[in-house]
Formats: sequence, C-alpha cells, structure tokens
Amino acid sequence: MKFSTKGRYGLRAMIDLAVYSNGEHVALGSIAQRQGISTNYLEHVFSELRKSGLVKSVKGAQGGYLLSESPSDIKVGRILRVLEGPLSVIDEDSENTSGSESVIRNCIKEIVWDKMNARLNELVDSLTLEDLARDYRERNGIDNTMYYI
Amino acid sequence: MKISTKGRYGLEAIVDLAIHSSEGRVNLKSISERCGISEAYILQIFLILRRAGIVESTRGTQGGYVLASEPSKITVGDVLTALEGPLAPVACITEKAKKNCGRYENCTARNFWEKVMNTLSDVANSITIEDLVNCYKNFIPRDTELDYYI
Repeated sequence: MKFSTKGRYGLRAMIDLAVYSNGEHVALGSIAQRQGISTNYLEHVFSELRKSGLVKSVKGAQGGYLLSESPSDIKVGRILRVLEGPLSVIDEDSENTSGSESVIRNCIKEIVWDKMNARLNELVDSLTLEDLARDYRERNGIDNTMYYI
Repeated sequence: MKISTKGRYGLEAIVDLAIHSSEGRVNLKSISERCGISEAYILQIFLILRRAGIVESTRGTQGGYVLASEPSKITVGDVLTALEGPLAPVACITEKAKKNCGRYENCTARNFWEKVMNTLSDVANSITIEDLVNCYKNFIPRDTELDYYI
C-alpha cells in the first residue's frame, strides 16, 4: 500500500514552495535543487497543481510558481487528492466488479476499509500546508516567516 | 495508496475460516468456493499466514486449517501486516530506509507519512477477527441459519 511518486514529490514540493516563497514566485529549478527532484518531473506535477488552482505560474526568465492561497488555508488532503485522486485504502472499482455479493466482504468494507478511509481523510484534512511548513522551518532552522501586515 | 488483492482476499478468507472452523478443520477448497477466490491463491495466502503463526494446518483426509488463536486475539492488523508488510504509505518510513536516508530524522514529509501509517495501523489493530465474525452473524438472519442445521 503506497502513495505514488507524484503524491510524495508533489507534497514535498508544496512544502518547499510554502517555506521559500514568502509571497514571491519561486523557480522550479530551485525547488528541484533543494529537494533533489528533477525539474522535468516537477513541471509535470506543477501543471496539475496549477490546473487545480493550488498554485499560480509566472512566465518568463524570472518566472516560477507561487501558492494561490495562504498556506494556512490549504489542507494537506486537498493537495493529496489533486495528485492521487480520492484517498481510499482499497481500489473501489475492483471491489465493485468482483461480482458476488458477499456478507463477509460487506462486513470487512463497513468495519475495516470505511473506517480506515474515514480516519485517513480526517487526518489529512486536519493538517494545513502551513503546519507542515512550520515543522520544516523548525527542523531546518529556517526563520523567514512572513508577517502579514 | 491501496491495500493489495492479497490483503483483501486474505482478510476475507480468515473471516470465513473463523466462521467455519468451529465445526472442525476447514479445507481450502471450501473457503475457495465460498469466497469465490481461486484455491491456488488461497493456498499462497495461507502459507504466508501459517508462517506468521496466524493459522495452523494438518495434513491428511481430515486435514485442513484452523486459526492458531482465538478470533478475539487476532487483529485485522496482524493479518494485513503478515500479508502486506507494515501499512507504510511510502517506502521511506520502513527500517531499511532509515539506514539509507541521511535526512531521516529531519524530514517533515517523512514525519507526516509516519502519522498516516500510525493512523491506519491504529484502526487495523483495534479491530479483531471476532468483530468481523459478529458482524457476519448479525447479517445472517437467525431463522435462515437454523434452516441450515435442521
């Protein structure tokens, strides 16, 4: 049971952007360098993030990306759903096509999978990008908190 | 991020075994028929579960499988961990990665994924096979059940 590379790298890149942007746009090259992720891959991830309205792009030689909203308004669950689709521990499609209605299977779904999904979604929606950015700053000794006047 | 077919089928087969082993050892063929899962796949799953000490087997004509302990002592987490490994949503939280990744102690993302894993594990460890058997018994109307035995 794993999240995809897109979800993992995308989340790291969004944390990086939240930490280093301070309201300014950030070049993908610098995120790539800090996070050890290829610029090509980040372009692919950021085009999806942009389509979903989480980030805005600035074109040109000095171009780059910035968050569309304040990090404290962006739930981690929203980022992960953009990159991974609905967050579920089982593949709903394969469950439905398995045919036979089974009492055991229904019990497992109700008691195990639905509960896991509920707790998973609760967790990712209880955290904002700002929570993770703050943690990142503390761990890495970065003090660049922007004070909104 | 998904639980694999092995984990899903394995859990279903264990609950089926728990329901039917009150009447003696259960052969894989009957589990396979009731669950609609191939016998070869069930065998593969049960070999792993036997090694993990979750089921026991005996050979011979009266042979078959039983749970190694009470259904109330076996959690969903035991079964899923045996079949899937730790419920780690990303590779970097397993012990092996701990040695390889220099940023291990200092990684915000890793810390977040670890929270996800702990949340999923807590749920899995809080549910026993007995809970699922009870759910099954509640679903099957009493009178239908009696019909079978008369």
